[in-house]
Amino acid sequence: MQTKQMTALVGSALAGLLMLSQANAADLKIGIMVPTTGSEATAGKDMENSIKLAADEINKAGGVLGMNIVTITGDDGCDPQMASSAASKLVSSDVVGVVGGYCSGATLPTLKIYGDAGTPFVVAAANSTKLIDANPGTSFQINSTGFDQVNTAVSLFQAKGIKTLAIVHQGDGYSEDLAKLTKEKWTGMGLEVVAYEVVNKGEQDQSSLVTKIKSKAPDAVFWTAYYSDGALLIKQLRQAGFRKLIAVGDGSNSPKLLEIAGKAAEGVFCFSNPTADYLPAAKDYTASYKANYKQAPDAYGPLAYDGMKLMADAITRAGSTDKAAIVNALKETKAFTGITGAVTFTEQNTLAKSNFVVLVAKGGKWTLNK
Amino acid sequence: MSTQDIILQQLANGLIMGSFYALVALGYTMVYGIIKLLNFAHGDLYMVGGFVGFLILSAISGVLGESWTAIVCSMVLSMLAVGLLGVIIQRVAYRPMLTAPRLSILITALAVSMILSNGVMSITDGEYLAFNTDLGFDGLDFGNVFISYTQLALVISASVLMFVLYFFVNKTLYGKAMQAIAIDQDACKLMGINVNRIIALTFFIGSSLAAAAGVMAGVYYGSLHFSMGFVIGLKAFTAAVIGGIGSIPGAMLGGLLLGLLEAFGTQIPFIGSEWKDVFSFGLLILLLILKPTGILGKTEIERM
Repeated sequence: MQTKQMTALVGSALAGLLMLSQANAADLKIGIMVPTTGSEATAGKDMENSIKLAADEINKAGGVLGMNIVTITGDDGCDPQMASSAASKLVSSDVVGVVGGYCSGATLPTLKIYGDAGTPFVVAAANSTKLIDANPGTSFQINSTGFDQVNTAVSLFQAKGIKTLAIVHQGDGYSEDLAKLTKEKWTGMGLEVVAYEVVNKGEQDQSSLVTKIKSKAPDAVFWTAYYSDGALLIKQLRQAGFRKLIAVGDGSNSPKLLEIAGKAAEGVFCFSNPTADYLPAAKDYTASYKANYKQAPDAYGPLAYDGMKLMADAITRAGSTDKAAIVNALKETKAFTGITGAVTFTEQNTLAKSNFVVLVAKGGKWTLNK
Repeated sequence: MSTQDIILQQLANGLIMGSFYALVALGYTMVYGIIKLLNFAHGDLYMVGGFVGFLILSAISGVLGESWTAIVCSMVLSMLAVGLLGVIIQRVAYRPMLTAPRLSILITALAVSMILSNGVMSITDGEYLAFNTDLGFDGLDFGNVFISYTQLALVISASVLMFVLYFFVNKTLYGKAMQAIAIDQDACKLMGINVNRIIALTFFIGSSLAAAAGVMAGVYYGSLHFSMGFVIGLKAFTAAVIGGIGSIPGAMLGGLLLGLLEAFGTQIPFIGSEWKDVFSFGLLILLLILKPTGILGKTEIERM
């Protein structure tokens, strides 16, 4: 008697589970890979928020091919090892595509993992040129690459009459790459790089390096790494009496840099991918971001948001959730215009048209340099 | 800048960095001296100290303004608060483990370190906090060598704290009790010394020195982050080992030495600053091979 009741109970429970999984079949699983812990967690969370915001908007408008987008976040911790396991986890959760990628060093090893699984990966922020060579054909970079940034940087330095340059990086994939390319381009033009230095991540005291840089008397200092330690370098350079030009790469494009460095950051130049503040098309995005998360979007939010929209657009054009079809659709992207501009890919799956801008710190704010 | 200027400026840089290392190293060495524990949570107490100082400074800057008085007040209060935190950690996490095998208490220390740093990470959302005190860039200018008043104040306060500690340990009854416990706990108990109270006092002093360094770092560098205790914890531990772990003057000497090595390591010609740590840690390994107990460490006689 009791056994029978149990069987019935188990039976109905199983039926319920079956129904539940049927309901799930209409979900479209998209992976988000960003650092949500560790030193770059702020930027990562901003990207995650933006991707979720885009997914919500798409779902409200009827979803993709009649399916609801469900996001799964993998934390890459801005660390190659953590990123590899996050990527494997996303692949084994059967995501149709992945959007994200902030730290180039952490993104690099995941390209192969997604490539092996055939999973399309829209790389929203990471833009080291190493990613181009490592691309198995399934990844798409919607941020301008390091090459574009180097060109923007060098033309600014020339316009300012800079002759000798000091370049400082942090030894990670992204900042070392940008530093190396700038150095090659600069020396290739017959100009001199008088100091090419490294700062350890998380080391607060950079005074000894500042003294070394000062002793070489460069016309400009170019910091190619992230804002947290960059702010300390700027502050200590100015404190030690360095009055010449300072420029920072796009990893330092954050209001936090200005907050930490305070008045020392005044007049610092920054090369930036398009951020919400300078994009007329991003008004609605900024408004709904603020409404949802009670804060303003950070530098890479718009690109992450566009990444999700692009992925949805490609799936719609592919007409199925077949990964190979989506990769093809992404390759053939023509008429997609996001808030950061129009997206068309080169043979190497990088942006055909650079979207870098030059900013300058004025009155504690980044403003467009004219 | 002439070579002489560079040497003088790097000397100043090294001394400033070194005084931070020394302050944090003191806590390591005191705790190790008294209960033979490598307190891995020590670097995190430095970090917590910075955050507590920031909170207090934000709270009192309305009354006192962001003046030196306000900074000193917040430093003293943060030292008291973090000192108490150190005592609580010692009471809750370490005291029950004192009789357990050495490895268990070491792992407890790692756990405390994780709890502190991840706790602060959750509270601050992993964000960098700007500690903007705007102390200005004024200072003493000797031609090409420049030392700001902030830097000068840092070195002076670190020296004062170290002097007070040295006096306390060598001249007061409590300090003598500490030294006695380091030699033989059981004998101290028999002599009527309240061993647990003295251990708690050691944690209080060590933690509040770390907090002092944390507040100074916040004021000087202008930013706070939950992970800021890691690098300095590692370096201070190294400093304590160079000086001879367990020895208080050793920790001060080790800190200053490490600071100077790093400053001059940056300046070695032909190789970039990426070799700075290779240079300084290479020399340290050499030093430890030649003198395994550190500069001022004594060879311990193993009691069976």
